[in-house]
Amino acid sequence: MSSISFTFKHFYRAFLLVAGLAILSISANAQTDATKGEAIFKAKCTACHAIDKQVIGPALGPQLTKETDDKWLVKWIQNNQALMAAKDKKAMDIYNQFNQAGMTVFTDLSDADAGNIITYVRAAYKDIQDKAKAAQATVAVEQGPSMLIVYALLGVIILAFIVILVLNRVVKTLDNLVATKPEILMAPAAVDTTPVDKYATVKRLAKNKKLVFFVLLCVSIAGGSWTWVSLWNTNVHTGYQPVQPIKYPHDLHAGEMQIKCQYCHSGAYKSKNASIPSLNVCMNCHKVIDRRKDATEPSTEIAKIYTAIGFDPKTQKYDSTLARPVQWVRIHNLPDFAYFNHSQHVTVGKIECTTCHGPVQSMKEMYQYSPLTMKWCIQCHKRTEINYKGNAYYEKMEAVHELLRKGGKVTEAQMGGIECGKCHY
Amino acid sequence: MDSNKKYWKGLEELNNEPEFVEKNKHEFAEPIPIEDVLTGGGLAGKTPRRDFLKALGFGVGAVTLAACQKVPVHKSIPYLIKPEEITPGVANYYVSTYDGHAILVKTREGRPIKIEGNPNDLFSKGGLSAQAQASVLDLYDYNRFNNPLLDGTDSSWPEIDAFVKLELAVIKAANKKIRLVTSSINSPSTLAVIADFIAQFPTTKHITYDAVSYTGIIQANQNSFGKAVIPHYHFEKADVIVSFGADFLGTWISPDEFSTQWVQNRNSKSLASKKMSRHIQFETGMSLTGSNADSRVLIKPSEEGPALVNLYNAITGTTLPGSKPLANVNADKAVKLVAAELKAAKGKALVVSGSNDVAKQILVNAINAQLGSYGTTIDLDNYSNQYKGNDAEFVEFVAEVERGEVDAVFFLNANPVYEYYKGAEFAEALKKVRLRVNFAGSKDETSVHSNVVAPANYYLESWGDSNPIEGYYTIIQPAINPVYDTRQAEQSLLNWSDSTTKDYYTYVRNNWDKNLLAKGGLSGLKGWETLLQTGFVKVADKPASNYSFSKDLNGVAQTILVQSSKYAAPAGSYEIQLYQSVALRDGKRANNPWLQEMPDPVSKVTWDNFAAMSPTDIRNAGYVQGDVITIAVDGQKTVTLPILAQPGQTQGTISIAVGYGRTEVGPVGLGAGKNVYPLQIAENGTFQNSTVAKITPTGDQIILAQTQTHHSIEGRNVIRETTLKDFVKDPTSNSGGSLKHKEYETLWDDYDHPQYNWVMAIDLNACTGCGACVVACSAENNIPVVGRDEVRRRREMHWIRIDRYYSFNDGGKSVTEEKEIQDLKDLDNVSVVYQPMLCQHCDHAPCETVCPVLATVHSSEGLNHMAYNRCIGTRYCANNCPYKVRRFNWFNYWNDSRFDNYLINEHTHLVLNPDVTTRFRGVMEKCSMCIQRIQAGKLKAKIEKRPVADGDIKTACQQTCPTNAIVFGNRNDKNSEVAKLLDSERTYYVLEELNVQPGIGYQVKVRNTVETEA
Repeated sequence: MSSISFTFKHFYRAFLLVAGLAILSISANAQTDATKGEAIFKAKCTACHAIDKQVIGPALGPQLTKETDDKWLVKWIQNNQALMAAKDKKAMDIYNQFNQAGMTVFTDLSDADAGNIITYVRAAYKDIQDKAKAAQATVAVEQGPSMLIVYALLGVIILAFIVILVLNRVVKTLDNLVATKPEILMAPAAVDTTPVDKYATVKRLAKNKKLVFFVLLCVSIAGGSWTWVSLWNTNVHTGYQPVQPIKYPHDLHAGEMQIKCQYCHSGAYKSKNASIPSLNVCMNCHKVIDRRKDATEPSTEIAKIYTAIGFDPKTQKYDSTLARPVQWVRIHNLPDFAYFNHSQHVTVGKIECTTCHGPVQSMKEMYQYSPLTMKWCIQCHKRTEINYKGNAYYEKMEAVHELLRKGGKVTEAQMGGIECGKCHY
Repeated sequence: MDSNKKYWKGLEELNNEPEFVEKNKHEFAEPIPIEDVLTGGGLAGKTPRRDFLKALGFGVGAVTLAACQKVPVHKSIPYLIKPEEITPGVANYYVSTYDGHAILVKTREGRPIKIEGNPNDLFSKGGLSAQAQASVLDLYDYNRFNNPLLDGTDSSWPEIDAFVKLELAVIKAANKKIRLVTSSINSPSTLAVIADFIAQFPTTKHITYDAVSYTGIIQANQNSFGKAVIPHYHFEKADVIVSFGADFLGTWISPDEFSTQWVQNRNSKSLASKKMSRHIQFETGMSLTGSNADSRVLIKPSEEGPALVNLYNAITGTTLPGSKPLANVNADKAVKLVAAELKAAKGKALVVSGSNDVAKQILVNAINAQLGSYGTTIDLDNYSNQYKGNDAEFVEFVAEVERGEVDAVFFLNANPVYEYYKGAEFAEALKKVRLRVNFAGSKDETSVHSNVVAPANYYLESWGDSNPIEGYYTIIQPAINPVYDTRQAEQSLLNWSDSTTKDYYTYVRNNWDKNLLAKGGLSGLKGWETLLQTGFVKVADKPASNYSFSKDLNGVAQTILVQSSKYAAPAGSYEIQLYQSVALRDGKRANNPWLQEMPDPVSKVTWDNFAAMSPTDIRNAGYVQGDVITIAVDGQKTVTLPILAQPGQTQGTISIAVGYGRTEVGPVGLGAGKNVYPLQIAENGTFQNSTVAKITPTGDQIILAQTQTHHSIEGRNVIRETTLKDFVKDPTSNSGGSLKHKEYETLWDDYDHPQYNWVMAIDLNACTGCGACVVACSAENNIPVVGRDEVRRRREMHWIRIDRYYSFNDGGKSVTEEKEIQDLKDLDNVSVVYQPMLCQHCDHAPCETVCPVLATVHSSEGLNHMAYNRCIGTRYCANNCPYKVRRFNWFNYWNDSRFDNYLINEHTHLVLNPDVTTRFRGVMEKCSMCIQRIQAGKLKAKIEKRPVADGDIKTACQQTCPTNAIVFGNRNDKNSEVAKLLDSERTYYVLEELNVQPGIGYQVKVRNTVETEA
């Protein structure tokens, strides 16, 4: 018996152990599912998919929640081309529904990997939906008390009206009282009949010729210097920050995202114009990115790019007939008679963009940082030393050697950079 | 040895006419009423002081108020999707073809802004004519047809296609005649399209008609050698060149190419080996070529034939029947001397004639065969396709039209109503033609008589190709989308003939793939792409063989002599010679303001044609320059033109340029001159350019807008020339000894040129005066056109001008003293020197000294800078400039509606070079030595981290010069071409004695004259 009981006990323990381990492993599995799925999702899927909106491929959240046949989904994820080759009806439907854009084949993903992705996407989508519901609820609650304020305001207005009426009444009564009994008021003091000359002091001072001269001098100096200063500042537009058709945040792109200036302003390297990027450059990123990282709604500013270039984010298609160019307002206006070449400064002179354009990486909207006056140009040309090292153009130039031999600095001005015809032609 | 030879720019200066002297004393061409104001009633009024203050107050107030406007908001509109090859601010160049020349089209942001020669071009190695340079402006001519027209009203392409197709179907069914009239076409693809069209409509005949015809040469070669072509001439292989009225440097067949060839035996390189060709010109009026010849012999048009007969006799020692000595003693003597020279240069001689007469050209062929020119200076195997006109076929076509036999006619690049000598009658006859289709791009005389106008694309908007010389194939590719709703003529023909190839681009591609790419060793897509980079393919030349002449010349001589006596002017009449002007040529580009305002090289007249007469004739007949005369041929055909006194014009002759007097043309060409095509004659089966006329005065007077005497040289010695003989003896002959420059005391401090010293060398011996540089400069530097009236007021804006100086020849001796000039009455025998004059960028510039606001200052690179925004317009600098090269903006030309007529408006602004400022009213401007190109060249070198190489930077004038007369570079670089040239013995500086130290050195003109000859 004991042996039986021992055997049973043994079996029982083993059973418990196995069961326990199984439960543990299941729970562990359930836990790793989502995290693993998230990692794979971020590595392989985000180039074309998002959870809750269509990018290049369909929004995966609703798609995967709607489709419950996991086995089929795994097959699709691993090799959608095979499904289509087999003329699978569901697969063909999806293919046709989303612009007949072929999806990449992921034969390297195991069944478990694919399952993990599905689990993650469903969980994440549920999460998003829950949050959205909660947000809606809060909004509804927040809207409640607003009527109360309106009523309160109305009450205050009526109250004030009544007060005005009462006060009016009081004034009238008092007026009547004065009319009937004038003696209530105090008798007026004896009036001095000789008229007081209010301007006597001024007149007296005006006779002081030294003072007059001094005042006039001050006035003309003040007026003159004001004229002088305002003439100097005529057409100087430092700080000019016009309203642009699209609120393009340089702080986000150049600052937070650390995108190099020349990614968009590629002309600065090789041309006189730094050039405003054409919209296809914007679309390199914004085809996928339609909102800020934390935003729930697509950005209205980014939508303006789509409108301008004739892009429909829903169907992911371009329609060139709808395209209308963006009319930016030019901020840095050099007069026509001044020639400026970006490549000369950026490529040859190795001047940082921010030297002239200021802290663009922290500008919410672009403004003119430098005065762009000739004085400003020339000061810099007098100050800046030529970056001649490693440039064979200067290596054989005797003038440079001569200056160095004398121990002087080789500035732009010394190379003729402040002569009229270098910029005015 | 300093020469005292006297030079003069015009007869006014030569004769020191009181009017001229008076005019030159003043700063302005017309009196300015300041004197009147100061001396007359202006100051005598009651309250001038108060009025002045009022005006001043109002002025200040008004200006202040006017200035109180908001700063304009500038929009900046980037590309939606930027084409990959375009970077805003950087020019792109595309290969293409202009008139057979391989060219580069410079585009900025998709707009063609300048035409530049392809440095590898077979013809002129990057040189281009004024016409080619000006052609870019016609692209933006707002007078071009904006859409197709049907019966004179706006239509659309589907409508036109439907109409023409239906008409053609009906005509085809009725088996009626269809005629396609074109100017010479040498495009293989276009010819293939026409062949396809003819296959579809077999009653079609292709008629080639050129306004200025070369049928004479073509048929003479057919007659002499069985080859109906124009040969390829090689002036560079000739030691002795004799031309009978052929203006081969200006207008004849392929002038840019011939200039490039001609100069090879006359430039510095050739002179260094003490060699120079000899060029003798027999001609009537003073042509560009004649003015450049070493010896110039005056003959009347009627004497040209007998002179050729006598030359043949003298060379061969035979006597053709009917020949007798010329009545013109000078010419008779000259013919004999020339014959001796030609014989001595056998195998290295070339005789050409500008005549379109078959008989004369046969005789020229016989002479050339005698001289052994075939296979050396004349190549009949690699012949030219540039002109193919057949005058007889065209006359036959006109007869068919008049008989009402033709049901459809297509005009492609031909304007016979204007160009044909019986144009008015032809226009009348055209009404009998049922379908008249015109491919003209803009309105012309024939298009207004057409019921369908199917405007063709401009060449800068087209695909195509060209085969100007056998074995040389060039490609035309578009540099811009069609500006207006136009369509290539070839495309229209393809559509109408229901071709299987739907678009012309594919057609050209296929044609090249099948037939032409292989000729250049190319194939497939890669070959095509290579072609679009290089611009042409060239097959190795066939060996030019020697052709012997074996035809009987008796009949030819007979024809020549009969015709010459028929068209010899009796007493009281004048022989008329028609010629093409260098600027307008046949008149197709009459609506181009750059060409209209380009001064004629010889007469310096702008905006008009004129009757050029010998000063002696004018004096004898009692006329003065500017008198309008009626020229009447046979008492029927008349034309009224102003007289121009032209030294060097043969007495008893009048020369008139064709190409003017367009009646159906845009506002630029309208009213410019008179049409003299009707004076042409048809003789011996070809159209010829000389006739006989009587003249009568009309009593009117016109002031021609002539630029020659806008400045006086005040008798200073600015031109230096020598003879080859003296040059060989002493290379510094007459250069004033440039190597031993005199040291003058100077008032100025010397400038350092530590990095560069930009200078220029201009070879007077290479400059032909063609004027291409003037137009190239206008295109590069946004120089406005000011129009006829303003030119009369000396206000033309050209930064570079070609000064033309005359001097007397007296039996080979140069005339040096004024007294001698007075004794000399022979205004016929003059020689000409051209001198391009532009800002000399003096190191001690007199203009800089007098500028009160330092608007013009010196740079460390040896340039004289001009800051327009600083200039306040005192014009002191212009007054103090000894070279008179500064130009003042009297108006805001680019933005003033008064100048819209000269295509200066919003639309034409697209042609402006964005790297050069347009100047505002009231500022001075002048040559900057293309500083935008200098800066761009330096920047390119800096970016590529290398020193600037010699030849990297070329000025616009230098780049277009077909004879490389202008060389620009860095004087500090001892090995640069320009430094070597300036160090050469021939170099002199104009007005060196003023010690302004100019940056431009000139090379003395060398003439290969022979003492014994007049």
